[in-house]
Amino acid sequence: RGPAGRAMAAAAAFERRVVRRAAEHHYLRVRLELSDGGARPNAPQFKQLVVTALRELHGEVGAALPVDVLTYEEKTLSAILRVISSGLVKLWSALTLLGFYQNRRCAFRVLQTSPFLLALSGNSRELVL
Amino acid sequence: QNILTVCFSVGYSVVALNHVIDFKEKKQEIIKPVSPSELFPSLPIVQGTSKRIKVLTRLTLIVSDPSHCNLLRSTSANIRLYDIIAVFPKTEKLFHIACTTLDVDLVCINVTEKLPFYFRRPPVNMAIDRGIYFELLYTPAIKDSTMRRYTISNAISLMQICKGKNIVISSAAERPLELRGPYDVANLGLLFGLSEGEAKAAVSTNCRATMLHGETRKSACGVVYTVKKPRKVEEEETVPACKKAKTQA
Repeated sequence: RGPAGRAMAAAAAFERRVVRRAAEHHYLRVRLELSDGGARPNAPQFKQLVVTALRELHGEVGAALPVDVLTYEEKTLSAILRVISSGLVKLWSALTLLGFYQNRRCAFRVLQTSPFLLALSGNSRELVL
Repeated sequence: QNILTVCFSVGYSVVALNHVIDFKEKKQEIIKPVSPSELFPSLPIVQGTSKRIKVLTRLTLIVSDPSHCNLLRSTSANIRLYDIIAVFPKTEKLFHIACTTLDVDLVCINVTEKLPFYFRRPPVNMAIDRGIYFELLYTPAIKDSTMRRYTISNAISLMQICKGKNIVISSAAERPLELRGPYDVANLGLLFGLSEGEAKAAVSTNCRATMLHGETRKSACGVVYTVKKPRKVEEEETVPACKKAKTQA
């Protein structure tokens, strides 16, 4: 993505790039917690669950929000989602208010969120002090 | 006990256990609150800091009749054992009384059914001046879609009158899976119409202010209100502590 504005430092060997636009996408690392027992969703079912959550809270317009599941691990039920920045509040609130998956109680825990994918690799909450 | 363990793992630092009293049933007595040390022999440490988690006790009174409020004025010994007192008014008159004269810390706003009364500006402004916070619950929104609509509509009508000040969002979770993390709840505040700073305050600074309000209420109880000096001390005690909370948050 190219920068929207550029400022050159005077007579120096480096160049400073100023990005005036906010980031295009926001990335969320989420984990689905299910009550024990029963089948775990695979990747397409997980995406279906996210779209259902959006539809329940924000209707058809919400369900049409461009959301991508970048990675998904079935064993831990955790995933990295990507959404357009303007849709972050809608997606996050829809995930928070989702209560049921196939008539079983579930909860989405959003572990990290950031406009940069690299920031999701480190988690300061899991530091052992 | 399960719920508390999940609370701690999700990142909350202070939890209040609620005990609800409904006055419609006869012969309701206020029992002593469960002491937190019975549940946990040693409380776990908050994520990221080295302090222990605090567990407070809280009492909610569901009032549908003005005579129920007399209980608050009587100096029942058990009431004082609770750290935070909340009232849940069911009629407009009781809402007015709760905001203006009752000695409580929180006024609960019904989210499970359509409000039978509209909010008016004078009692709400008086409550804000007195340091009383309005509480919204979010767990009914997780369970049922009709409740979701009522939660959001009641919250929006409250926002229009109080402009987002003095709001506390809390959960009435009965199971560990009904709990949501603090940032998720702050995001829900954005849905209700709060601004970003106000939404985060609804989960952090406003809750701390409620705790301090409860503490000052406990300490000033028993002083006759006709004397103005102790009242001033009460106000001063709350304000610097709130300011301290804001810089720490």
